[in-house]
Amino acid sequence: MLSNVAPSVFNGLILGAFYAFVAIGLSLIMNLTGTINLAHGSFLTLAGYLAFTLVSKGTSFWFALILAPLLTVVVGVAVERLLIVPLYKRDPIFSLLLTFGLSLIAEEVYRLIWGPNGVPFSAPGILGGGISLGFMQFPTLRLFIAVVLAAAMVLLALFLWRTRFGLRLRAAIQDTEMISAMGTNIQLLYMVNFALGMALAGLAGVLASGLLGLSPTMGNALLMPAFVVAIIGGMGSLFGSIVGGLLVGLAISVTTLFIPAANEVIMYILMAVVLLIRPRGLFGTEGLFG
Amino acid sequence: MNNRQKQGYIAAIAAVVLLAVLPLKIGSHSVLSLMHLDVSILSEMLLFAIAAMSVNLLLGYTGLMSFGNAAYFGLGAYGAGLSIHYLNMNFIEGAIIGTIVALLGGLIVGPFLLRRRGIYFALLTLAFGQVFYFIAYRANEFTGGEDGMSFPRPYFGFPGWHTDLHEGSFYYLMLLVFAVVLVGFWLIVRSPFGRTLQAIRQNELRVRYLGLDSNKFIFVALLVSAAMAGLAGALYGLLIMFAAPLMLDWQQSGDFVMIMILGGAGSIWGPVVGSLIYVIGKDIISTLTQTWQIYIGALFVICVLAFPGGLLGTLLNSIARRDVGAPISEETVPHKAWESGAPASSAAVAAEQKES
Amino acid sequence: MAEVLLEAKNVSKHFGGVVAVNSVSITIEQGSIYAVIGPNGAGKTTFFNALSGFYMPDGGQVLYKGQDITTMPNWQRVQLGMSRTFQTPSIFPELTVYENLLIGVQSQQKIAFRLRLPSVARKKEIDARIDELLGFVNLVHLKDRPVAELSHGSQRLCEIAMSLSVDPTIVLLDEPMAGLAEAETERIMRVIRDLHDRLDLTVLFVEHNMRVVLALADHITVLDRGAMLAQGTPSEISNSQIVREAYLGQEVLNRV
Repeated sequence: MLSNVAPSVFNGLILGAFYAFVAIGLSLIMNLTGTINLAHGSFLTLAGYLAFTLVSKGTSFWFALILAPLLTVVVGVAVERLLIVPLYKRDPIFSLLLTFGLSLIAEEVYRLIWGPNGVPFSAPGILGGGISLGFMQFPTLRLFIAVVLAAAMVLLALFLWRTRFGLRLRAAIQDTEMISAMGTNIQLLYMVNFALGMALAGLAGVLASGLLGLSPTMGNALLMPAFVVAIIGGMGSLFGSIVGGLLVGLAISVTTLFIPAANEVIMYILMAVVLLIRPRGLFGTEGLFG
Repeated sequence: MNNRQKQGYIAAIAAVVLLAVLPLKIGSHSVLSLMHLDVSILSEMLLFAIAAMSVNLLLGYTGLMSFGNAAYFGLGAYGAGLSIHYLNMNFIEGAIIGTIVALLGGLIVGPFLLRRRGIYFALLTLAFGQVFYFIAYRANEFTGGEDGMSFPRPYFGFPGWHTDLHEGSFYYLMLLVFAVVLVGFWLIVRSPFGRTLQAIRQNELRVRYLGLDSNKFIFVALLVSAAMAGLAGALYGLLIMFAAPLMLDWQQSGDFVMIMILGGAGSIWGPVVGSLIYVIGKDIISTLTQTWQIYIGALFVICVLAFPGGLLGTLLNSIARRDVGAPISEETVPHKAWESGAPASSAAVAAEQKES
Repeated sequence: MAEVLLEAKNVSKHFGGVVAVNSVSITIEQGSIYAVIGPNGAGKTTFFNALSGFYMPDGGQVLYKGQDITTMPNWQRVQLGMSRTFQTPSIFPELTVYENLLIGVQSQQKIAFRLRLPSVARKKEIDARIDELLGFVNLVHLKDRPVAELSHGSQRLCEIAMSLSVDPTIVLLDEPMAGLAEAETERIMRVIRDLHDRLDLTVLFVEHNMRVVLALADHITVLDRGAMLAQGTPSEISNSQIVREAYLGQEVLNRV
């Protein structure tokens, strides 16, 4: 039984970590600017394809793992500055629709460039194989992904809680008007915040490509569960997104073992239950937009 | 009856007459066939207009960002399809059952949505909408799963009389349904209930401090919206004789919101104009190019950036300066200034004194 | 002694670690004009919000005609007979003055939920009621103007008329003079007087201007840093040593 359940649980947790990653990026952007970024998944996919192209042009995987998210940040920030900034002052429905339009365009563009079906993108040999954990064999790639995601989350937490800029960012998320009255350059905050979201999406995109299969719709497939994770964890709570992500990943993996047909619906059931008990999510506080 | 109302009636009648004569043939051609359009595209246009009106009731009138109305639309289509496929229902029964199924969906999801406002409301509609997508997707023995389900279009009629609907007569039936829905919608937004919804959009707190339970109003608005979307979905299912998970998807919801914004939120005619542009535009673009999704996406982006009041709203504004409906498009900045208790402008004071 | 209408017993409210209101009790008798006064940051508005159901107090009780309404939703309190205004007028900016009042009259007539238009007779009744309300605050000439276009003072009057449209027994006014010029202050003071004299309503209002309070109120509670400083009639308050010190200090500070 253990040999059957344990790998599923581990896989579920890794999937959950991906959800958490996307959810944190969405949460950061949504809480600071009121933008529900429906193009988040498109940027994630973009990072995957960029890494794929870099590797197929002879770049090493390790270099692509760093470069592709950076390029995604550049593209993302350019889109934010050019298209989304003019909408910050308007009703949030407009940025929602704009990013929706962008996701439609992106999906089709990816299809044009990289083809409608998935492309093979595999990690280097060293991450092949598996590592023995005593009671089970565990694939090295998954372990590597888990380590990278965990490290990135620690780095993000350090940035937000241990640097002056991070402190300002968190303050701005609490109260945008106050921080702009204090003289902080709010546009710079918006930009860095969006870039953070893009970096998280980019890293997740490259790592997910090796695991979930790289296709034009890969990012969008992660987007909806990420919204659910953000709702379960409580919007605006970094910790909530992580807990929510792992919880959803776990629920999915366990459900897949026993009732495979319900493995997507389970997260919505989880969401409904959480909302019944805590309308603002597990770790949600009264937010700006509540 | 004032002038504006009169103009409204004339415009409404003119529009319906125009829609009625479009498919009529003069000699061997009609306006429609000259444009290389099929009559069923007009049916689709009307049904998408009803679906967009259902979003308009929430977003344009009540101020609630619903990004999940495709769920009700799809539930309508599946409700009609399943009842026809498994229970041999006729046309009218199928349409009614589809509407009721969507209404039930609203009843289940509504209490969850009611608790939040603003972008959190949008997020919840987005998330809860997907539940039905996955149910349809996964219950493949029953619903055909990803491939969707085909079903025949039953005869239309009552006990004692019935007829088969071909594309032409189907369209005229849709025109009738559309006219009824339009009049119903018009009556709703002008009723005391509809006025209260518009008040909620502007200031829900004040509505509560006038002794009204705003949640009750919002819940009913959600149900009406769900039923409208469900009716549109059921009839759309009957039009294409097909139901598929994509009809329930958030991207479909996005299309409805966009149709409404294209024409202008908070106005009766906005969704109709938006639907005309969207459905016919999409049909034309998709015959010209495989990559039509890029152009639709670009249309959204341009419309959001360049015509925040919608095409109809922008057009009418440039003619009459006064907005047709409630402009959710307006920047929130002036509101903020007003809320922070900005001193009354001396111009406003002077103008009042002049009048008194 | 007149019947007790609204009563607060040891009401407290804190935000995080900050105690905004600390165990404040007041008793408002039917037919009185009651003022809560204090310098900025004294917790007046917080106390007021706890009374009117804007949020729930963390401790204490609120009673209306002896009924415990501490946790009652705000809209139900309005139905009981308590209506209120806000420091910055809470109105429907895009609607006309007439339409603003219509929402309230519909609520009072219990027809807000109807899907059909009111009958001709009913419509006449509603219009007459709106005209009466507008006549009371002297806004008839602005009836068809969107409220957003009105001056701050007229917006406040419109809001007062809206709070009257639901047929209240007690009207709660949150800093009714805030942000107004001298002439407009006089206008509002006259209206508050009329609420009591002409409409027989009980009035509770929050204010930081001692002159206004002494001129209008028959009972006063002075708050300072969330706690009760003094309570009594205008003459008791104006002769109170503690209040004088608090206010003198405040005024000296204001001048600096």
